[in-house]
Amino acid sequence: MTAGFWHQVRAVVDRDLLRERRSGDVLWITIPFGALALLLVPLAVGTDAELLREIGVGMYWVIVMLFGVLVAVGKASKETIPQQDASSLLGLDPAAGFIGRTTSSAILLLAFEVVVGVVAVGLYNIDVLGPGWLILTMVIAAIGLALLGTLTASIVNSTSAGTALVPLLVAPLSVPLLLGATQAYDGLRYGHAIVSWVLLMVAVATVVAMIGVLTARPLQES
Amino acid sequence: MAVIARSSRWPWIAIGISLIVSLTMAMTSPADDVQGDLVRIMYVHVPSAWLAYTAFFVTFLGSLVYLVTRNIKADRVAAASAEIGVFFTGLALALGMIWAKPTWGVWWTWDARLTLTAIMFFVYLGYLALRRTTDDPVMRASRASVLGVLGAIQIPIVHFSVVWWRTLHQPPSIIRPDGPSIQDPMMLATLIISVIAFTVVYVALMVKRIELIHLDDERRAAEDSPDRPVAGEAVTVPELGGG
Repeated sequence: MTAGFWHQVRAVVDRDLLRERRSGDVLWITIPFGALALLLVPLAVGTDAELLREIGVGMYWVIVMLFGVLVAVGKASKETIPQQDASSLLGLDPAAGFIGRTTSSAILLLAFEVVVGVVAVGLYNIDVLGPGWLILTMVIAAIGLALLGTLTASIVNSTSAGTALVPLLVAPLSVPLLLGATQAYDGLRYGHAIVSWVLLMVAVATVVAMIGVLTARPLQES
Repeated sequence: MAVIARSSRWPWIAIGISLIVSLTMAMTSPADDVQGDLVRIMYVHVPSAWLAYTAFFVTFLGSLVYLVTRNIKADRVAAASAEIGVFFTGLALALGMIWAKPTWGVWWTWDARLTLTAIMFFVYLGYLALRRTTDDPVMRASRASVLGVLGAIQIPIVHFSVVWWRTLHQPPSIIRPDGPSIQDPMMLATLIISVIAFTVVYVALMVKRIELIHLDDERRAAEDSPDRPVAGEAVTVPELGGG
């Protein structure tokens, strides 16, 4: 008998997080690399504290978007074709697999955002404004990026380009998320309404989620 | 030879006539009071941008139809349209930069419309790169169609960027609630005819490109056919004469 949909999702999330606990790819490689990138920026643009404070949030989100792709793709591309076939024979719903991989990626991306965010606040002296909105923005960005990364990794899976093509596909598509996140912070800083930016991020994440769920089976079968 | 035999000449004739008409009108229309002859770039830049949107929207429709019906012809339409769209997006960006240097003083400015158009260009470059990663037509169509639908998220954002943000780029000139902003009837007519001519060019290029993709698929299928002659097949065992 096949397990229920959400039970399958939970099993995929547990599997991916266990894999991360064993490999430590995000914790020991991607997070330090992201923190290092934040450290390198002032060496290139100058160490003027006011300038760094001004560009700090933008740099933080650029690092999250570029390095976040590595997190999302790394998790999604770990599954080989024989493993996918085995999952399919065991009755795993492709949509459950997609949601499960996205959820585990989103959890890891959120961890990445928090750690790199603390480093950014420390290095660039960024003001933490509207903590509630900030957390909401970070969660939506993590989910949106995880959705994009998982979907594009499914698209390029078993093609000759492999995961090399994923950053080219994800980076431009993640622009609405980047715009929403940075403009929301600017809105908080200058006292403007930010709901429309948050809604833009939610809308993009929803559209990608729908496309991912609806195309999970055709992508697996192809 | 098969390609030559199957091709019709009308797309080339349509492209030739359209380009001659639009270029003649662009060269003979009056110069702008402020911009002078620089305004003539608009007669190629605006149609190119219009075709970019149209082409990517057709890619979206073709991808959607493929995902629903699994008809490979829809994927061919999507692929052909994306290629033409990338070309015209590149042309619109390049002409925009040539126009911007004498007008704004810089080749590039971080304007919302410009930046988002450049990003849209990269989205569809990725789409074309994806199509080159596999020879299997069904696998290629399935994967590319998902991206073709996903990439369409950018189209309304690019189009409405001049409305959502305060930008250097001018808002729509023709399709506006209060009528076209171009006052000179000759300039307006030239622009509209250029848009129509470029649309004819797009349709003609689509016909030729779809035909080419179809022939390419046939060639690949023939190469993969089990009936295909193999090396050494013609060699027979020599008969040894008795004696």
